[in-house]
Amino acid sequence: MARFIRSVRDARGLYAALVWLALGYLLVFSAFPLVYNIVISLQTVDLFSLASFDRPFVGLQNYRDVLSDPVAGTVLWNTIRFVVLSLVFQLAIGFGLALFFQQDFPGATYLRGLFLAGWIMPALVVGAVWSWILAGDFGVLNYVLRTLGITERNIFWLSDPDVSLYSVIIANIWLGIPFNMILLSVGLAAIPRDIYEAAELDGAGAWQRFFTITLPLMRAPLGAVVSLGTIFTLQQFDLFAALTQGGPSNASNVAQYWSWQLSFQTYQISYGSVVSVLMIVFVVAVAAVYTRSTRHEQSY
Amino acid sequence: MKRYILLALAALFVAIYLFPLYWMYVTALKSGSEIFRFPPTFWPATLHFNVADVWTRLRMDRFLTNSLIIAAGTTVIIMAVGTGCAYALARVRSIWMDVAMFTTLMMQVLPSSLMITPIFVSFNHVGLLDYPRLAVVLAQAAKLLPLYIVLCRTAFMQVPRELEEAGLVDGNSRLGAFLQIAIPLARNGILVTAVLVFLLSFGEYVYSRSLIGERALQPATVGLQSFMGPNTSDWSGVMTYSAIYVTPILFIFVLLQRRIVSGLTAGALK
Repeated sequence: MARFIRSVRDARGLYAALVWLALGYLLVFSAFPLVYNIVISLQTVDLFSLASFDRPFVGLQNYRDVLSDPVAGTVLWNTIRFVVLSLVFQLAIGFGLALFFQQDFPGATYLRGLFLAGWIMPALVVGAVWSWILAGDFGVLNYVLRTLGITERNIFWLSDPDVSLYSVIIANIWLGIPFNMILLSVGLAAIPRDIYEAAELDGAGAWQRFFTITLPLMRAPLGAVVSLGTIFTLQQFDLFAALTQGGPSNASNVAQYWSWQLSFQTYQISYGSVVSVLMIVFVVAVAAVYTRSTRHEQSY
Repeated sequence: MKRYILLALAALFVAIYLFPLYWMYVTALKSGSEIFRFPPTFWPATLHFNVADVWTRLRMDRFLTNSLIIAAGTTVIIMAVGTGCAYALARVRSIWMDVAMFTTLMMQVLPSSLMITPIFVSFNHVGLLDYPRLAVVLAQAAKLLPLYIVLCRTAFMQVPRELEEAGLVDGNSRLGAFLQIAIPLARNGILVTAVLVFLLSFGEYVYSRSLIGERALQPATVGLQSFMGPNTSDWSGVMTYSAIYVTPILFIFVLLQRRIVSGLTAGALK
């Protein structure tokens, strides 16, 4: 005991103890479930066998069952559309706003910060507000679209299987814009002003400056935003719960919501964990690529 | 002149972006029949306050108390476990610390909706589901601990090492230098991060929905979701509920806006 106390008092022992405290917590509450998830996905787990440790081992049968389920194809295609469309629009709008707020005018920093109000709100509340905006009969979005002459009749955003996924995408883009904008603003601020001044003296126009200076120098921040955006988009659950619940008939279902439904609504827990394992592998791969790439660029 | 045109444009962008928030407040202030008027009114014809009614009818006191308990519990655990780790990661550079940092970053990206299945099964084994709010706190702390460590680490890196070394020369122990010199100097960064963790946990949904079955123990997000249902018509109630729920969050955000933004941007790109 005395040796332990002495080792905590010297530097290395203290630092190790502090790190292990947090790492230990993460090992118990994140890493263990992560590994246990794989075990569950190889067993038959439902409400009857939930409490017992002695569950039948079925190997990869669960994976075959899930992947041959006709819903799997729909869910995969929806997930891809959800991620790609969310990313493209978040990035385009976020980048546009970041460029705009980069200009010199009074209150720019303050007004830009106001966008983060969308980010700090509970996503479930954001979903509730959007489901009211998107409501078919009395929704304000339908009113605006009809007044502007874009559509002739009301769109039933949440109950029409052709558009229900887009309604969640719209809300998710709204949630993601602030994060994209702030991160890209930081990247833009790091580009030295004099490069632009030199280019201007050489007669480069605004578009030319954007394509030859801004875009190449923004490669790292853009890469960061794309990978972080993919990760956050795959974390999105609350909007689905508030807006469409994956419906109608899985028309707006995505992998992370489907996994939860399998585990907590139909209690096919091993199927839920199969979807979960497959998605976690993908998310961790994206994160590992991103973390490695930032490590090469900046030494911290 | 050009600067003021830009300012006006910027204000317009902010207004368009924040329209959903405005619409929530305006709907909350409209009377039941005005809500369903088409075309909709963009300013309530008659102001209609149903805050008190919604508060008691939907039992918001209970839901918000549970949300507060979950948010406070999560924040306390994270601060107790994560502050020292953030400090050590800021001070020591070695291959092991790199491994620890990498592990932490990987734990940050695991989606709650995917982690809930194994968490549910393992918490069920050890009987944690009998204490559902504690179960949510433990799971949510694991979810946000990496974010806290990453952001606090940048706060500690801004504290000059020399001040601690001066303390050590004066006879302070390493632990004393951490507790009495580093923490007070990094206080602002730590507190802002803690507030951020608190606000994010105050809106937690996935774990609470899956682990808390008993109505009386559920937080405000789960309560709101159960009132909405697929065919809700009580939009006045839902929007009033939402407004009551998010107003304190937005208030704290506006107060701390600058610090939250700078903390996030410093931490996120590292």
